[in-house]
Amino acid sequence: MRKLAIVIFICVCLTLSYFTIVSASKVFKTDWELPQSTEQVDTKQRLVLITQELETPFWDKVATGAMDEAEKEGVSLEVWGSYGNNQEEFLKQIEIAIYSQMDGIILQGLDTDEFKNLTKIKAASYGIPIITVANDVPMGDSLRKSYVGSNHYEAGKMIGEQLIADMGTVGEVAVMIDKQHQYFQEQRLEGIREVLQRYPTIDIHYIETEDTRKEVIATTKDVLNRNPNINAFIVVNVEILAAMINEIERRSQIEPYFIYSFDDDYESITLLKQGKVDGIIEQAPEEMGKMSVKLILDWLNNKKVPLDLEGYQTDIKIIKANDEK
Amino acid sequence: MNSIQKKILVLVIAVLFIMVIIWTSLTYYNQKMQYQYNNILERYLIMNEVTNESQQIVATLNNYIIDPTAANLDEINKSKTKILSTKDEVMKFRNTDNNYVLTSYENLIDSLVEIMEQSVLARSEQQTEDYLNALSEASRISKYISEMTLTIIDKELNTYKRVYRSMINNSEELLKLGIWLLPLITMLLLLFAHLFSKRITKPINELTQAAHELSLGRFDLEVEVNSNDEISFLAKMFDKMRININNYLSEIKQKAQLENELQQSKLLLQESQLRSLQSQINPHFLYNTLDMLSKKAYIEDAEETSDLLVNVAELLRYNLNKLENSASLFEEVQVLNQYMNIQNTRFIDRLQFHLDIDESCLDVQIPRLTLQPIVENAIIHAIEPVEDGGSIWFRIIEELEHVRIEIEDDGPGMTEEKVQQMLQLKKTKSEGHFTGIGISNVVKRLSLFYNNHDVFDIESKVGIGTKIILKIPKTGRVEDSETTPDS
Repeated sequence: MRKLAIVIFICVCLTLSYFTIVSASKVFKTDWELPQSTEQVDTKQRLVLITQELETPFWDKVATGAMDEAEKEGVSLEVWGSYGNNQEEFLKQIEIAIYSQMDGIILQGLDTDEFKNLTKIKAASYGIPIITVANDVPMGDSLRKSYVGSNHYEAGKMIGEQLIADMGTVGEVAVMIDKQHQYFQEQRLEGIREVLQRYPTIDIHYIETEDTRKEVIATTKDVLNRNPNINAFIVVNVEILAAMINEIERRSQIEPYFIYSFDDDYESITLLKQGKVDGIIEQAPEEMGKMSVKLILDWLNNKKVPLDLEGYQTDIKIIKANDEK
Repeated sequence: MNSIQKKILVLVIAVLFIMVIIWTSLTYYNQKMQYQYNNILERYLIMNEVTNESQQIVATLNNYIIDPTAANLDEINKSKTKILSTKDEVMKFRNTDNNYVLTSYENLIDSLVEIMEQSVLARSEQQTEDYLNALSEASRISKYISEMTLTIIDKELNTYKRVYRSMINNSEELLKLGIWLLPLITMLLLLFAHLFSKRITKPINELTQAAHELSLGRFDLEVEVNSNDEISFLAKMFDKMRININNYLSEIKQKAQLENELQQSKLLLQESQLRSLQSQINPHFLYNTLDMLSKKAYIEDAEETSDLLVNVAELLRYNLNKLENSASLFEEVQVLNQYMNIQNTRFIDRLQFHLDIDESCLDVQIPRLTLQPIVENAIIHAIEPVEDGGSIWFRIIEELEHVRIEIEDDGPGMTEEKVQQMLQLKKTKSEGHFTGIGISNVVKRLSLFYNNHDVFDIESKVGIGTKIILKIPKTGRVEDSETTPDS
């Protein structure tokens, strides 16, 4: 009895001390993993990529490409920007980037006066080089060092040619443009026009619209009402696409229409898969990111001076609904 | 140092030690946590300060533009130094995670200061549009600064998320530790207290057990206590006491035995008294009658008969005295003479009695009725059975320490066996003795009286005779009464 009591007592003591020691070691073990503090200022060059369309598949890919390149080159890069084409926020980010005296700024081009003002005057006064990416702004307006991205004129031409190939040389085509007339959209339009003008049998309607959903629907209704025989839509700004297709679907079958768009965002790709869109221009966003970082570093390190002011083209190709299926 | 006290001190120190360890580690831990918390708070406070100071700059700049006095310029300079020093503070927070954004932050502050200086310059040169532009730019930058402050704080939160999380976990673990620690310490203290109290109480229990045994009268068990403190000292003392009591006890037992022997001798004395009384058939009447007869014989001119009767009467009187009283040798010799007169009358020529007495020794005290029974014994054994009679020699010789009394006869003697029987006080029948007191009685009384067996001795050879020797110490009887006999 006494022995049993002693054994039990010892067992209890051992168990208690085991748990106590485990607990104590947990308490006193400080694995706080504080980030290493560095007294010296980071000498790495600081770059920033600013876009108005954060977290869209296209810009995610641009950012990934840029990040990869930055890591490879050993420079710091951050991706800033605004969501859903919030211009005000976008411009503010640019301003902050300039005041923060970044070493280089990679920008999604925006064809507005404020943008041009900022890039032309502010950035230049702080001596910060700017490269536009994906969407260009004319060099004279923005004092950008270079442009990296698709050749939108070429893209427009490709779409036009595809349309001819699909539809034939006779038909009515509606070209949907938003009212902002951004530079890259103008270029696309240019390309389309260039192709379609060759065929007088093709009737072209240039339709301007605001890119809000309501406006798009209203405009689409209007177009369909006025031109009941329309065969094809070319959407220059992808943001118009979804609302427009919605509206067409409400009225009739979507199949008979030939619909083309630029920019491969979620919506457009989904629509492509569903067969509602017949073709989309696929760009090379990762390539853009990569190249833009590389070029701006070349410029900063005086390797390649001056840069090609016309810009550096990345690949474009057209994907059709049939391919996706 | 007192041993039990030492033990208590050790226990207390052990407990104290545990407490101190726990206290120290908890304090250390607390301090560390506090430091972390302070650090975090400090960061946030300093960043917040940057925001405030940037707003302050814009406000002072505005004041200056409205009212370009030296005082306002001074204000501007003051806030400029302030924000620059705060900037240095902030730069200390630089780590690998926030390096990029902190550089931006730093540049933003620099830009603000630069714009401010531009504005001040433009104001002093009265270029209205420029300084107004600069002011609005400054206020925008100030806004950006506060925004970026939030961004940085946000980033800090992200960076330190793990740290904060682990701090929270740690405090939860601390609670658990407390919960485990409490029963563990309780157990350990119980164990310590148990061992400690056992070390103190075990010797006490042993001692109690020993005391119990002692109280039951078992003095032969040794008191043994395994300890090194006062209790063991107590036990040693206790054991000593036990040994002493044991010794006293055996001494008392010895005394009791002695007393028992004494009692026995008294009984023996009483017995001999009883016998002598039995043999006295109204002795006083007999004595008086004999006295009267002696007077009558004297009147009738039978002088010899008268003397004989006187002797018998004297003998009887002496016998009537108490036996336990001692008498002087002189008295004894007198009684012996009277007895011999009677025996001479009886045996006439058959008995030759020779006296050889050293008169100087007659003061010695000896037990009453010692000599007469011995002589009577000699007559019974040496004279009566022999037809031609015999001689008896009675001598008193002075020696160095004793008075030697010899009674010798020339009778048939005794075998050695018989002598030993007599000396060992084997009871023999005292038939035919005048006083009814046998020789063995005499021997016993002598040895009791002198507390010494050497007093009585017999030398005897068959056919030659027997010699009885008494060695009476001159000092007399050592203990007991020295009362002189009264007749």
